Amino acid sequence: MQLNETTVFTEKCFNGEPASCSYACPFHLDIRSFLDKVKRGKWNAAYKEYRNAAVFPAIVAELCPEPCMHHCQRVQTGDEPIAMQAIEQALLKYAKAKKAESYQIPPKAGRIAVVGAGPAGLSCALNLANKKYQVTVFDKNSGWGGHLREHPKFSLFDEDITLQFAAVSVEFRFGTDVKSLDELADFNAIYVATGRGGTDFGLLPTWEKDLLTTAVPGVFMGGALCSMPLMESIAAGRAVSRTIEGYIQTGRAEHTHGDSLYDKAKCERYIAHPDALPSPLVQPASPDEGYSQKEAEAEASRCLSCDCDACMASCELLSHYRKKPHRMAVEAFSDANSVPPIGTRSMVRETYSCNNCGHCKSICPVDVDIGSLLQFARADSYASGSQITALHYYWLREMEFNIGEGAFSSAPPGRDSSSLAFFPGCQLGAYSPEHVLRSYEILSSEHDAGLILSCCGAPAYWAGDMKRFNEHADALRAEWDNMGRPELVFACSTCRQMFEKMLPEIKGVSLYSLLKSSPSISPVSPFPEVSIFDPCAARTDNEARLAVRDIVMSAGAAVSELSETGKCCGYGGNIKVANPSLYDTITEKRAGLSALPYVVYCANCREVFASRGKDCAHVLDVAFSLRPEPVATIEQKRRNTLMIKTKLMKDKWGKDFIPSSNPWDGISLNIPAELQKSLDQRLISESDIKETIWRSNSGGEKFTDNSGVVLCYMVTDVLTYWVEYKMLGDTYEISDAYTHRMKFRVEA
Amino acid sequence: MERNWKCVSCGVELERKKAVFDYMGRSFSENLLKCPKCGKVLITSDLAAGRMREVEEMLEDK
Repeated sequence: MQLNETTVFTEKCFNGEPASCSYACPFHLDIRSFLDKVKRGKWNAAYKEYRNAAVFPAIVAELCPEPCMHHCQRVQTGDEPIAMQAIEQALLKYAKAKKAESYQIPPKAGRIAVVGAGPAGLSCALNLANKKYQVTVFDKNSGWGGHLREHPKFSLFDEDITLQFAAVSVEFRFGTDVKSLDELADFNAIYVATGRGGTDFGLLPTWEKDLLTTAVPGVFMGGALCSMPLMESIAAGRAVSRTIEGYIQTGRAEHTHGDSLYDKAKCERYIAHPDALPSPLVQPASPDEGYSQKEAEAEASRCLSCDCDACMASCELLSHYRKKPHRMAVEAFSDANSVPPIGTRSMVRETYSCNNCGHCKSICPVDVDIGSLLQFARADSYASGSQITALHYYWLREMEFNIGEGAFSSAPPGRDSSSLAFFPGCQLGAYSPEHVLRSYEILSSEHDAGLILSCCGAPAYWAGDMKRFNEHADALRAEWDNMGRPELVFACSTCRQMFEKMLPEIKGVSLYSLLKSSPSISPVSPFPEVSIFDPCAARTDNEARLAVRDIVMSAGAAVSELSETGKCCGYGGNIKVANPSLYDTITEKRAGLSALPYVVYCANCREVFASRGKDCAHVLDVAFSLRPEPVATIEQKRRNTLMIKTKLMKDKWGKDFIPSSNPWDGISLNIPAELQKSLDQRLISESDIKETIWRSNSGGEKFTDNSGVVLCYMVTDVLTYWVEYKMLGDTYEISDAYTHRMKFRVEA
Repeated sequence: MERNWKCVSCGVELERKKAVFDYMGRSFSENLLKCPKCGKVLITSDLAAGRMREVEEMLEDK
C-alpha cells in the first residue's frame, strides 16, 4: 500500500491548520496563537510572535488594513470581529521586551545588494542580515523609509526600523543613486525595491510575480515599484529573502518550503460555532488612549480559536481515541505495512470500532470521511490476510446461514417474473416473523411481488471481506436476473445502502412507502407519544423517513423529533465484539436521547434498544397493530428465519422445506434466564452449547470436579467454546458457557 | 477456594503447570490447571473473560 492511498481520505481536513483569518493576513500571522498569548497577558511572547511575522511591528500595527477582520468568525454570535488593530497598538505599549534578537550563527558567504530603503527593501535586507548574509542597501535619499518618510507618523516608524536593525550588521549607502546594475556586479544577488515609479533598470516588463524574479538571473524585484500594496511589500521582503538565499546556495530561484501552504482560497474555510455565546466588542474606557492592558486581554479572549474538530467532538469513536484525522490516515498506512510479529500496529482497535454510519462525513465542512478510511483499512487488512477473524466471526457465520439454509427466492407463485420483489433482510424476520409474513401478504396481494429471503452482505462488508461481499453480489444479481429484474422492496435502510454499493443497477423502494397507503393496515401505536429513531443508513433515504412518520401519525401517536439524528444506534459495523465498552457507551447515549419510547424502522436499531430495556416498537408493530416482541435469543433468530422460509414456501408455493438436522439436536438443555441473557451478549447459541457437549462426549475434552460439575470444551477454527453443566436426569443443567480466541497447546 | 478438577479421559487430578497459547502468530505462556497425563488445559470463565481477553486484545492490537 502507498501512503497516498490512505491520506487521500483526509487530505482536505484542516484540523490543526491556521484559522481562516491567518490565511487572509498578508503576514500569515497565527492569529489564534497570537491572541491566546495576549489573552493570557503574555505580552512579550505575543510581541515576539507578531514581530517575527510582521517584520516592522509599529508600521504594520499602524497601517495594516486588517483583511483578517473580514474572515473573523466572531460574527457568528452576532458580534463584531476581534479589534485586531487596537490590540496590535496595545501590544506596542504593553510589551516590554522589544529588543531585536541576535542569532549566534556564523556569517554566510554571499553579498546581496538591496536597491531602495523603503519598507520592501528594508524587510528583505533585515531578513537576510538576520541570517548573517552581507547586505548593502542603496538609496538615493538621505535616510531610510522610502515613501513613509512623508507620513505624519514617520518618527514612530523611524524608531521601529532603528529598533529592528539594532542587532544586525547592514551597510547603508544613502544618497547613492544606482544608475545601472553594472555598478553592482560584485554582488551575488540584487533586490530592486525602488518604490512607486522608481528605477526598474528596464526589467519591470520581465518581472515574474510568483518568485519576484526578472529576466536577469540573480536580480529580484518587488514592492511598490511592482504595484504591490504596502503590507504585501513588507511580507514579500521576507519571502524573497528565502528565495534569494536559495538562489545563492543553488543558483536557482525556486519556491521554498512553506510558500505553498498559504493559499488565499483557504481563508474561506469556516467552521461553525453553534455553542458559542455572544460576546460584544470591548470598548476602551478612554477611546483616545486605546485599550488598557486588561481591556486588550479581554478583547483577545473573544477569539473563538477556530480550529475544526467537528468530527472528533461529535463521534464517540473519534472523541474516545482523540486521534486527529491526518494522523489516523498515516497510522492506517503504517498498520497496513507492518509485518507481524516484528512490526507493531497502532490503530487496530479504532479500525474495528467504527459504526460506518457516515456521520463524520455529514458534519465535516469539507466532507472528510473517516468511516471510509477505516472501512478501507478493514478491507485492506482482510485482503492481506491480517484481519482479526474473531471480531466478525459470529456475523459472518450468520451471513453464511442466511444466504445458505435460510435463503429462498422466487418470482410470485406460478410466474417467472414480477415487477417487485420483497427483500426483508435477515434480521427483520429473525426477531419478528410476523413482520415479514404480513408484509409479504400485503405485497403479494396488492402488488406484483416476488420474494428474496437472503442477506444484504453487510456482515462481509463490515468485516472487510470484499471478496465474499462481491461473490454474494454476483449471486444476488444472478437471482435477480432470473426473476425478471424486479424493483426491490426494502424493509431495512442498511440493506438498501448495501445494494447501492454492490448492485447499483437494482432499483429499490421502501416497504413503508408502499404500506402507508395500503387499505390492509390499520396502524395502532403501543405508545401515545414517541420519538422516531432514524437509522443512520436512512440519512439519504427520505422516502423511508417520511413514510414511517406517515404511518406513526396515522396511528394517532404524537411524534417528538429527536434533537440529534444521523448517528448509528451502535450496531453498525458490527463493533460489539471488537469494542464492547464503546458499544455500550454508544447504545446508552442513543437510548437516552429522549425519555419517550422510540419507533424504529431498522431491525438492528430495534435489537439495540430492546436489549437495553428501552421502550421501543418497530414501525411494522405500529402498522400491523402488534405488540412489540421481546428480544429473541440468537437461537430463536435462526429458528424464526427457518420458520418463515418453511411457511412461505409451503403456503405460497406449495413446496416443502425441511431444515437440516444435527446429531446434537436431541440434547436437552436447561439454561437459566439470567445466563441466557449473558450467552446472547457473548454470542453463544444453544446449538453451540449442544455441539460442544456432543463433541466432548465422544472426544473426551472434559473435566469434572468433586461435586459432579462437568466442564467441557470444543475447539473450532476461530474460537474455543467452554460449557459448564451438571446432569439432572437426561437434562444438561447449564451453569456457564464462554469462549476464548487464543488456542492452548495440548502437550504434557 | 479452588475446586479439585479431574481429567475425565485420564482419571487424574489436574496440576498447575505451564500452558502455552498461540494467537495472532505469537505465543504466550502461563501456569494453569492442566492434565499431567494428556496435557489438556482447563480455562475457567474468569480467566477467559479477564486476563485472557486482555492478552487477546493486546495481541490483536499489535
